[in-house]
Amino acid sequence: MAYSDKVIDHYENPRNVGKLDAQDPDVGTGMVGAPACGDVMRLQIKVNEQGIIEDAKFKTYGCGSAIASSSLATEWMKGRTLEEAETIKNTQIAEELALPPVKIHCSVLAEDAIKAAVRDYKHKKGLV
Amino acid sequence: MGNASHFALFDLEPDFRLDQDRLAVRYRELVRRVHPDRFAGAPEREQRLALEEAARLNEAYQTLKSPSQRARYLLSLQGEELSQETTVQDPAFLMQQMELREELQELQDSADLAGVARFKRRLVQDQEQLNEGFAACWADPRRRDEAERLARRMQFLDKLFAEVRQLEERLDD
Repeated sequence: MAYSDKVIDHYENPRNVGKLDAQDPDVGTGMVGAPACGDVMRLQIKVNEQGIIEDAKFKTYGCGSAIASSSLATEWMKGRTLEEAETIKNTQIAEELALPPVKIHCSVLAEDAIKAAVRDYKHKKGLV
Repeated sequence: MGNASHFALFDLEPDFRLDQDRLAVRYRELVRRVHPDRFAGAPEREQRLALEEAARLNEAYQTLKSPSQRARYLLSLQGEELSQETTVQDPAFLMQQMELREELQELQDSADLAGVARFKRRLVQDQEQLNEGFAACWADPRRRDEAERLARRMQFLDKLFAEVRQLEERLDD
């Protein structure tokens, strides 16, 4: 299958690959997986006192589309508030990366990872 | 016979614990009966039916042979199909999967064939544990959530096994 230029760009030069300290009270971690393809995605955010996501990291074991979706997600989350980050939709990710229908689930996985990371952070802070 | 379960096809009780040898023997017996050579001179309709039956036997055999596919099939027989589109939120397990994949990556970087063999043995143990767990709970409708979680975990382990095999092939070359 042919990947779009944007997917290839993110795949070859992934943004924000890495790890934040999951024990840090300011860090939220989202761990999600896709059963059909066995992809595993970890997305982490570090939130400052103003409620702004000042850093985001990811690590994904999966296909190019899954890597690109999570890479793009971290790019979009940085500098945003938690509320803004939560509004990121898989359809926006899929559109930006021009994902074919069979790869839409990769963008869904990224959206679910964002939500899981935000939820973990809020849970740590006693916000939920 | 069209709607008979994969198990019934091989005269087996629907169960997760399965006599693999018996399954393989039954499969070979049945598939021999519909081998195309036997139908070389038969009318076209019979040839086509034999082909369809062979395909059906093959699908049933592949499904039952694989523990993870067998697990999912058993759950589907009980009612609902296990959705493949759902995102899995099983943090501790997924964290462990990620660590295992990182470890495999390191084994690849160091081309450590003996290390890969040790890694694989650990995976086999994990798989056996999952299988035991599933065998103990799948038939109980009250433990459906647990059974689904274990069936999903099997799928991730399958993927890891596939990657180990690919790595072994690469290191073998």
